[in-house]
Amino acid sequence: MHETAAGLPQSPGRSPRSYLALLLSLLLAALPVIQASNQQAVPRPALPPEVLAAMNEALLRPYLELFEQAARLEFTPAQIQEMRRYLEQARSNCVRRWRERARQLERDLEKAQAELRARTAKLKPEERRELHCQIQNLRLLKSQADTLAEHAVPVAFENRLAKLELIEKWPQDEKKIKEELASGAYINRRWGDVLDIGFRQVGQGQEEDIKIGQETVEQMKLAGLMPPEVKNEVIQQYVARLTREVARHSDVRVPVRVTVLNSKEINAFALPGGFIYVERGLLEAVEDEAQLAGVIAHELAHVAARHGHRLMRRSTIASLIYQAAQLAAMILTGGVASLGTYYALQYGFYGLGLVLSLDLLGVSREFELEADQLGIQYAWHAGYDPKGFIRFFDKMATQEGYVQGISWFRTHPPFYRRMVEAMREISFLPPKEKLVTQTDAFQQMKRELEKVVAEAKEEEEGRPSLIAPEQGCPAPEKLEFKPGERRIETVCDMPTS
Amino acid sequence: MRHAHVLRFFWAAWLLAVAQPALAGPREVTLYFTVEKDGTLIGGLTEDNFRLYEDGEPRKFRLETPETPAAIALLVEYSQASWLYMEDIYRAMEGFMHQAPEGHWYALATFSKDLEIRVDFTKQRGRIANAFADLPRPFWNEINTYDAVYEMLERMGQLRGRRILIVIGSGLDTFSSMRLEDVRRKAEAVNVVVYAVGVGSLLRTVYEPYLSQPARMDLLQAEAFFQMLAQKTGGQAWFPRFEAAFRDVMRGVMQSIAFHYKLVYESNLPEDGKFHRIRLEAFRFEGDRKTTFTVRVREGWRTG
Repeated sequence: MHETAAGLPQSPGRSPRSYLALLLSLLLAALPVIQASNQQAVPRPALPPEVLAAMNEALLRPYLELFEQAARLEFTPAQIQEMRRYLEQARSNCVRRWRERARQLERDLEKAQAELRARTAKLKPEERRELHCQIQNLRLLKSQADTLAEHAVPVAFENRLAKLELIEKWPQDEKKIKEELASGAYINRRWGDVLDIGFRQVGQGQEEDIKIGQETVEQMKLAGLMPPEVKNEVIQQYVARLTREVARHSDVRVPVRVTVLNSKEINAFALPGGFIYVERGLLEAVEDEAQLAGVIAHELAHVAARHGHRLMRRSTIASLIYQAAQLAAMILTGGVASLGTYYALQYGFYGLGLVLSLDLLGVSREFELEADQLGIQYAWHAGYDPKGFIRFFDKMATQEGYVQGISWFRTHPPFYRRMVEAMREISFLPPKEKLVTQTDAFQQMKRELEKVVAEAKEEEEGRPSLIAPEQGCPAPEKLEFKPGERRIETVCDMPTS
Repeated sequence: MRHAHVLRFFWAAWLLAVAQPALAGPREVTLYFTVEKDGTLIGGLTEDNFRLYEDGEPRKFRLETPETPAAIALLVEYSQASWLYMEDIYRAMEGFMHQAPEGHWYALATFSKDLEIRVDFTKQRGRIANAFADLPRPFWNEINTYDAVYEMLERMGQLRGRRILIVIGSGLDTFSSMRLEDVRRKAEAVNVVVYAVGVGSLLRTVYEPYLSQPARMDLLQAEAFFQMLAQKTGGQAWFPRFEAAFRDVMRGVMQSIAFHYKLVYESNLPEDGKFHRIRLEAFRFEGDRKTTFTVRVREGWRTG
């Protein structure tokens, strides 16, 4: 008998090391089982089929419809709780599954590239082309899997969970709103003095921000971060006119300078001091003038409340631009979960919305909610249907799960809270007749936009690329998800009924 | 007997087909070049100011406006082994940022062991600087220049229009799988103008007397490699010895691109994989006095 260091007797061949080896081998043997259990589909929610079908159908409805119908939907708290548990589990399973898929694709890609490197001098043209095609396809699949795991799937589930919460809580919230309306208490909410827009104190000293804004614009241009402007007078003038109209009915006290940038990104942003930038992609995405006015009013609210100034206090512009540059580099090198690579491969551009510092844009969870509230007030005050903001948000969250560049989604105040707060504010606004949703000028802008988009498309098609597709490859594989066309159930292997 | 004649006829026809290179139809050859007199770039010359020879035979040609935007790719050495002259590389990149005009397509690739495309072609040249400024520390010690240049030439060879490759590096090569000969043939086969900016020249001047003979040979070969690239493609190679000179060199590169002429001619030579030599003469008559110019044009072309 041997003795261990602690003086305990030990049988020969049973040292602590051998126990450790045994444990490790057991773990290794169990690994496939653990992996298989991880990849199993989520068990169906314990709900009667008709309830599951009705709930799934309700969760696909737009927010505005749900606000109206929530009180009439008869789901029990237990059913809602079961659905929530199921959705949360499904989200985590689905994300894990796509991360694993992305890792596997990465390994396949490395293997193919290693083979290319090893045989490059001896490859026949057809062998080389075959390998190029394989690498090209793997790159695309990898970026798609990354985007699904890190962006599309989480956003899609968050949207579902927010709608579930709305079904559960909105009837109660609505009652409270009605009580507040009846008692007149709603006037005491923060920024409840909507009849005094333009005369109340929202952000004192806005003019001090002009210099910061100018400097930021200059530095962004110097750093080459600013996309080119849209060279179309009709579009520039239309957006400028709309923005000034909303600004005139807001608490913004500085001159507003508006520029439409020629970038596919669905985004608009405001720099301190009244510098508003609207990207072409946003104009393509909005369906009516009320939606566009809602987004622009939200950005004007950041200017009015001086959110940028308040967040930038401890930073210099140079450091923020440097952060932007660093982030740009991370995106360009695939550091941000390859979203940049995805954009680059899919669209040939890297979103400015991913690059700009949130501090610079005055975006934080708290400030986003404030900008939502003020923006809704400004759009309403300018005569626009304030629900346009909710409709656009819904469209973005439901159909454009990929588009995470937009600053609205980056800070992530919970969707439910954002939607409920927006609806609450709309309910408190004094009724107004003839709220504008659509105009002829908007339609004309859209027609002009078609020309600009066609030109941009032409230029994009002529854009040279070092990672240009290998000619003559079979059509690339695509992962089974396209926002707006296929539901997340397909991607996550979830039952629909 | 008749069968034997028929067989002989086919045999002879086959032999002829093997022996003669395939006669292809006329192919359009495009040349991008610059014209200089005593180091000054000359613009504004017309077709009458040039004479073109292909394999010694005069050729008809036309001048066209060079494509704008051009596709300009930067290929930058970025290895652990480059740390001794990394300052030169930074200066060259800084020079590029100051001198590169807006409007062209720009791309950035770096190499050590492998080539890495950092930024694909973009008109936002700021993205090049941002990406370069935030590169992670180089991991590999290799400087596989031949592999990287070969791959870039191959990738750029598939593009259309005016293509320019700016190589910033020492020209040294450690473990490339490609040979110098492979790169030379590739440079002859693709119509990409290469501008090479050699780094580490100051260091070399200081330490060269203390180096062994093989080390000196390596350095000479590195410089010759860049010279060869420039000569084969109609570009230029620079080896600045002072940090401040990098900005001037980059200005030189950008000016050369701005002063490019484009010449197009039809060649009836077979696509036989052989090298076909080009000679382009530039001159101007001022009264009876003939002024001749230096032309930087690719040495020739080959297929494959």
